[in-house]
Amino acid sequence: MEINQQLLNPVEQGLLGIMILIIMFGMGATLTPKDFRSALERPRGMLIGFLSQFGLMPLIAFSLAYMLKLPPAQAIALVLIGCLPGGTTSNMFAYFARGSVALSISMTAASTVLALIMMPILLDLYASGFAAQVDASLRAAGDEAGFAMPHANIVISLLLVLVPVAAGMTLRRFSPDWAKTAEDTAGFMTIIVILFLVTSALIRHSNLFVLTPWQIYAGSIGVGLAGFLFGFGMATVARLPPRYKRSVSLETGIQNGPIAFAIILLSFREPIQSEMLWLAILYSTFIVVTSSFVTLFYRRIGKTDWEIYRNNLVHQRLFGEDYRTQYPESAVGKTDQR
Amino acid sequence: MPVLPGYIRSLFKSAPQPVFRVTGAHLAELYANAAETFGEMPAFATRRNTLQWEPVSFRELFERGRFLATGLIELGVNARDHIGVLGDNRLEWILADYGAQLSGAANVPRGRDVTDDEIVHIFRHAGVRIAFVETSELQDRLLNLRGNLPELREVILLDDESDPRKSVRRLGDLIERGRELRRAGDREVEERIAQLRPDDLFTLIYTSGTTGEPKGVMLTHANMISQLERIPLDVSCTDRVVSVLPVWHIFERVFEMLAISRGCCTYYSSVRTLAEDMRNVEPTFMGSAPRLWESIHQRILKRVKAAHPVRRMLFHTAYFLSHYYKESVFFLSGCSLRLKNRGLPQSGALAFVHALRWLILLPWYGFFNAAVLENLRLVVGGAFKGSVSGGGALPREVDQFFNYLGIPVLEGYGLTETAPVIAVRTPENLVIGTVGHIIPDTELRIVSLETGATLYPDGSREDLGRGLRGEITVRGPQVMKGYYRNPGATETALRDGWFHTGDIGLVTFNDSLRIVGRCKETVVLSSGENVEPAPIEMRLCQSPLIAHCMVVGQDRKYPGALIVPSTEGFAECGLNGISLEELAASPDVRRRIGAEIRERISAQHGFKAFERIHAFTLVAEPFTTGDELTSLFKLKRHIVSEKYRSKIDVMYEHTGTEP
Repeated sequence: MEINQQLLNPVEQGLLGIMILIIMFGMGATLTPKDFRSALERPRGMLIGFLSQFGLMPLIAFSLAYMLKLPPAQAIALVLIGCLPGGTTSNMFAYFARGSVALSISMTAASTVLALIMMPILLDLYASGFAAQVDASLRAAGDEAGFAMPHANIVISLLLVLVPVAAGMTLRRFSPDWAKTAEDTAGFMTIIVILFLVTSALIRHSNLFVLTPWQIYAGSIGVGLAGFLFGFGMATVARLPPRYKRSVSLETGIQNGPIAFAIILLSFREPIQSEMLWLAILYSTFIVVTSSFVTLFYRRIGKTDWEIYRNNLVHQRLFGEDYRTQYPESAVGKTDQR
Repeated sequence: MPVLPGYIRSLFKSAPQPVFRVTGAHLAELYANAAETFGEMPAFATRRNTLQWEPVSFRELFERGRFLATGLIELGVNARDHIGVLGDNRLEWILADYGAQLSGAANVPRGRDVTDDEIVHIFRHAGVRIAFVETSELQDRLLNLRGNLPELREVILLDDESDPRKSVRRLGDLIERGRELRRAGDREVEERIAQLRPDDLFTLIYTSGTTGEPKGVMLTHANMISQLERIPLDVSCTDRVVSVLPVWHIFERVFEMLAISRGCCTYYSSVRTLAEDMRNVEPTFMGSAPRLWESIHQRILKRVKAAHPVRRMLFHTAYFLSHYYKESVFFLSGCSLRLKNRGLPQSGALAFVHALRWLILLPWYGFFNAAVLENLRLVVGGAFKGSVSGGGALPREVDQFFNYLGIPVLEGYGLTETAPVIAVRTPENLVIGTVGHIIPDTELRIVSLETGATLYPDGSREDLGRGLRGEITVRGPQVMKGYYRNPGATETALRDGWFHTGDIGLVTFNDSLRIVGRCKETVVLSSGENVEPAPIEMRLCQSPLIAHCMVVGQDRKYPGALIVPSTEGFAECGLNGISLEELAASPDVRRRIGAEIRERISAQHGFKAFERIHAFTLVAEPFTTGDELTSLFKLKRHIVSEKYRSKIDVMYEHTGTEP
């Protein structure tokens, strides 16, 4: 598949930029400096989360791109998605999946900062082969400049994206009430962005969905699903409490889509920009659907351990820190009571 | 008849899972089994401070209850005695209950707001010899009444912090005495428990009424155990129940007993601290009354009004979306209110429309639910699974508001005489406007008010008589043994094992029970006061200006009246030859009838404050025999209320919600 016309015109790109700004501002509004500090209080959970997000996920993305024999532009996009930090969407899903929201928020905060170092390294590791392929085909087509992975630009884009996040955090400090509104607006904007992108792509290329080969669908849907699965597996091997497992799983599979859009727009050029963008759009669309189903599934399997955890929290709050509740096995079965 | 095949409906409904519970042949055995199974888990928690609560474990509770029973037996409590309990919700109340059950006796409970007349009547009628009182104020009142209570021998004070009078014992001392006796080898309690039969009374509850004396409802251990085994609510040992309603009402009591059988902790809150306690306890369940939901509804609306415009808009959008989304979900899961039968094509078309609407609204609802509604739901604590509302009808808009918001308010139906649950909605079967399915093993009949024939279930009809209204009668394991020492009342209410509830209802086409009114005369106000309309009507009809009248006000805040002006009466006042329509429309007539009502229904004439008529409406049509009146000139109340329903609604709207 080749997209021979720009997916978004400059006006649409500008609009998208503003929306990303709003979303990142809203993301900042959910964070407090305490979230960064408390990341250090859960070292085990955080370590597993880190390994899962920056170890597993890029590897999954690379393997998928390799196995599905994706065209190099889309392969780079998939690896890029695999290397992204987490977003606030995952915190919301963690909440409804009866996961640990605190761990999810800490992982989002930590990974967003760590991405500044990790992304260039990981892209170098997994995407340089695909980048060479793009370079070769461009030169063969007579493009003198060729293509090189824009590491510096990616870091700059990431830094730019962090500016509204910091602004959002400042708002949160001064007005929690307005911060909540900013958060809701940003959440709403996430749906709008996806709809906006899908519609504008369809206006210009009405048969884009039909033209897209199945491998690209498989890649954009599979990367999230594999992230959920392997994230959960890794947390299980590490014997994390059940609610942490669900958080790590969701945090691994759900990436910060808006950052992907920002990086692609700011750091990549045509002809590969539109193709990368399309894969990012597909990922963002499908991840909402797949994580909804995964969340419903987690809600169901986590019912008992979550209720025990909540009950223990209330007991300790009201009866004293040292209060320990013993549940008879006949009533709760062999549930992990941590 | 389900609209959709089961596997599609299961997408919208999760199948209810069996909940672990303990049971027994009677409450004493249940208490013992709960102590054995749930051991050190908290059973009840008492509030000392906002964030300081004191738990008592199932084992400890049972142990102390057994000491108390031992002490009570030494005091002279015999098996099947009636022990009086005057007081409201607190741990000591439950202890007193454990004491009564474990000594093979039954209790006769009443709240702190009991009147002196009621104490005398109830205690004498029930033959109370030993009574618990909660506070020092109650002990003084009871001691003052001793002259009228020759049988009363012992008074025990529940509140250990108050000082008992000379002849009064302290609960703590009695428990200590029991502890000593048991240490010395006293095993009377075990003998009493062995002698208990499921058919023995566990309580004798006197129902209040304004006319006539209160009646003692005899409830057996089997009644209560049957309820605990059949109430279809998913309450388990990981749940938290908050208690605010008075425990001496069977409605709250059944929830506290349910909590014991499921190993779940009950937290004693109060109306004053409820909002705060909801945040700290994060209850998953509670028994509630319509007024509680009305006040939370008002509080949410007030908060929305005060929020800044962006948040207000978000709320309204969220509520709008969830209203239509949930409506479609309710339809697709077979939970819409179905008063009429539908053919297959009509059902199919509706299902298609709702499925389409559901699909379109899903992503938007998903987002607003997560961002806005979830936050709003925190008003009842973040873990709320549901609440059964009972003791009166839930106003429809309040019912809809909470259920569309995603706070399952489940309306239940029952009476003290049925221990109490007859029907209850569950989260899986939440048909707004009904009180849900009949609980298992309970038979229901809808009986014609005119002929006494069974309208539902009627095997000769294809629809079995669904949608037909008549008196609700039930037969089942929860129906009382009878009224204590009152065979006349028992015979009227219980015929061949069928209990006649005095409520009018119908069965919808998805087999839920809908309550539509009362055929008993008593009007129950939303405050719970019982108003007997007959004396008020008699007094009003003595006025020359009033031809007919009827008192209304079921589930309203105050009574109102429908008045037919008397053409003769007004003719004598100079309004000669004027038709009834003109009289009913005349402001002058209205003013004079208003004055007449105020004069006649007043404290001077012996009417209580809650019996005053605060609203009335003039009717331009006389009540005639055959239509509104029986051949014996008795009012057919349900027919009149039905005929003038919109007029009554307007009357209450017009005069506002406060008297």
